[in-house]
Amino acid sequence: METLAIALLAFFTAGWFVLAGADVGTGMLVPWLGRNDRERRLVLASFAPFFLGNEVWLVAAAGAFVGCFPALEGDLLSGQFPVFVALLTGWVVRDTGLWSRGRGAGPRRRAGCDAAVVCGSWTVALSWGWLLAALLTGRPYAPATGPTAVLAALAVAALFAAHGLGFAVLRLTGPPYERARRLVGRTGHPWQSFALTGVLLAGLPLWAGTALPLAGRAADPATLALLVPALLVVTPLLVAVQAWTWYAFRHRVTRPSYL
Amino acid sequence: MDRRDHRGTAGVHPGPTPAPVPYADAERVNQDVLDLARLQFALTAGGHFLFVALTLGLATVVAVLQTRATLGRNPLHARMVRFWGQLYVINCAVGIVTGLVMEFQFGMAWSGLTHEAGNVLGASLAVETVVAFFVESTFLGLWIFGWHRLNRWAHLAAIWIVVLTAYLSAYWILVSNGFLNHPVGHRSGDGGLVLDDPVAVLTNPSALLAFGHVLAGALLTAGFFMAGVSAYHLFRRSPEWEFFGRSLRIGVFLSAPALMAAAVFGGLQLGALATFQPMKSAVFSGKAAETARLQAEMTERFGPGDYVPSEAWTRGGGLVMLICFALMMYLCFAGVILACFKTAVFRFRLWHAVLMAAVPLPYLAMISGWVFREAGRQPWVVYGLLKTEDAVSDLSPGAMRLSLTVFTTLFVLLAVLNARLLTRHARRGPVDSGLGHDERPATGDGPGGAPDPADALPAPRY
Repeated sequence: METLAIALLAFFTAGWFVLAGADVGTGMLVPWLGRNDRERRLVLASFAPFFLGNEVWLVAAAGAFVGCFPALEGDLLSGQFPVFVALLTGWVVRDTGLWSRGRGAGPRRRAGCDAAVVCGSWTVALSWGWLLAALLTGRPYAPATGPTAVLAALAVAALFAAHGLGFAVLRLTGPPYERARRLVGRTGHPWQSFALTGVLLAGLPLWAGTALPLAGRAADPATLALLVPALLVVTPLLVAVQAWTWYAFRHRVTRPSYL
Repeated sequence: MDRRDHRGTAGVHPGPTPAPVPYADAERVNQDVLDLARLQFALTAGGHFLFVALTLGLATVVAVLQTRATLGRNPLHARMVRFWGQLYVINCAVGIVTGLVMEFQFGMAWSGLTHEAGNVLGASLAVETVVAFFVESTFLGLWIFGWHRLNRWAHLAAIWIVVLTAYLSAYWILVSNGFLNHPVGHRSGDGGLVLDDPVAVLTNPSALLAFGHVLAGALLTAGFFMAGVSAYHLFRRSPEWEFFGRSLRIGVFLSAPALMAAAVFGGLQLGALATFQPMKSAVFSGKAAETARLQAEMTERFGPGDYVPSEAWTRGGGLVMLICFALMMYLCFAGVILACFKTAVFRFRLWHAVLMAAVPLPYLAMISGWVFREAGRQPWVVYGLLKTEDAVSDLSPGAMRLSLTVFTTLFVLLAVLNARLLTRHARRGPVDSGLGHDERPATGDGPGGAPDPADALPAPRY
């Protein structure tokens, strides 16, 4: 049961990095990919139908974490308190920008929403780098400091951005597509860059996760015996529905969507 | 004793099974951190709860409207789905982002709770996120972006799944909250509470009654909201009189039974309090002798301490809730009669003004009822098992102050934004932009991104 619980946590976390990593990364690059209001809206439309389904992977990961490893979750989250404040702030600001962009009136309001999306996306990516720095240096219960933290944050943010760029190449059309394609380079199939960053992003949290003493700190067996099978039954269904969403919206975007 | 004992010193991994420190005799926590963490939880949970109240209720209405639109193919119904659906989505988005903060806050600021009660509490939170919220978000995305893409039956199924999983979400959260208020189905193991009887946890009366109460309250909030928004347009003699006349009736006829259901579940909860939380009951009814007796009894059982919750918050919350209930009852009673007469629905402008003014009432009732429930069980976070002061994380007051400032600012901005967007879209009426807008044909947007023309919503598609 404990192994399955770890596998579930790893699956949800890696899933968030690969899926939401794409829309966070694209969000980071909005000012470079879209040069005017309409182009920027098109860039956001590239991940609009997916971002809600993507971000819940992290909600699910946090849920699996608190359910299967409650005490450890408390230690990690309270130990990394400032990192999570930054992560959540970025997340909330980004989502607010995304949700309100299509609803607001006036170019200034929309520019403000774009700024919220970009700043929020960068904050999310940098916060993850900060958190991973602490885990990778083997100090999971205190925020990382010094040059290690800064370098790791920048490196992880760059990886998110590269992933988002690969996603943009696969989804966009028109001038934003041209800009993304120029940045990725014309050699090779557009899938290759996205797949590479995807593998790196999936591996990163798994590697960092080895710093956590998961095996010894799982919840009580009575809890796991009920919780883990329930999660295992639902997860494939969820993956299937999400795959269907990706299939339904598989075509490149040519015009703005609801966001 | 430092709580960091669990974690080992920096750089050294804690042993595989560190013996948890019993929190009851952990170090005296910094009073500042406790107060700030409580304030933050109260503000964020309260804020989130208010958004959720409208979301839950309005989702139900939208799903029913869409069912009628899909079955009957009446263009008016289809337009109603889009208009009320747009308001639902605006509100729901804010509910989602505030919920994110809530989920992480347990571990961040209340790690004592996950240590002590995580075996029970963590599981219900986990099921809520994966089984309910994950499904809800996935299908909500499909519903919002799936207009004109999904088959209309699939689109209808999507909104119903969203509604049902939203209910499920509320149920699981109230299972967690019910356990905090009235812990059942557990036993003490080494290092905290252990799940003993899952069925007892899932059928905890404190959770089930609260679930019924909150659900009815959510429908009531949506009913008053619909009636208020419709009344605004009828008051202004909008050309959309048929649209808003119907909507107003839906709102009024939904509010009345919802209010009754909320009252029944509320009454049952008040009755159960006498056995579940006699102290809250005594403080609420202002029985000083009974309060003193319970204080002495609890001191004997749990050791010295103050076991009396704040009278101002407990009584104040309860009374405000009851006053709101009384006002809403008169409004619902009058409303049901008035809504039967066409002339009143379309012409009675005084009633329209009252309905507009009454929109905040259910919100006020919801929040004060919640204050009554949560403030009235202090000093316990898990009633009779874990005190709030023993559950707070080992944080510096500076960090807690920073997070309180950041999240409070964000939540206030979100509330203002939500109110403005809702007002804006509600006032604009059913126009062809936003939710369900058909993006397929080339639109006339100039390269500068001119705002969508607010022309009348074309009827046949939604």
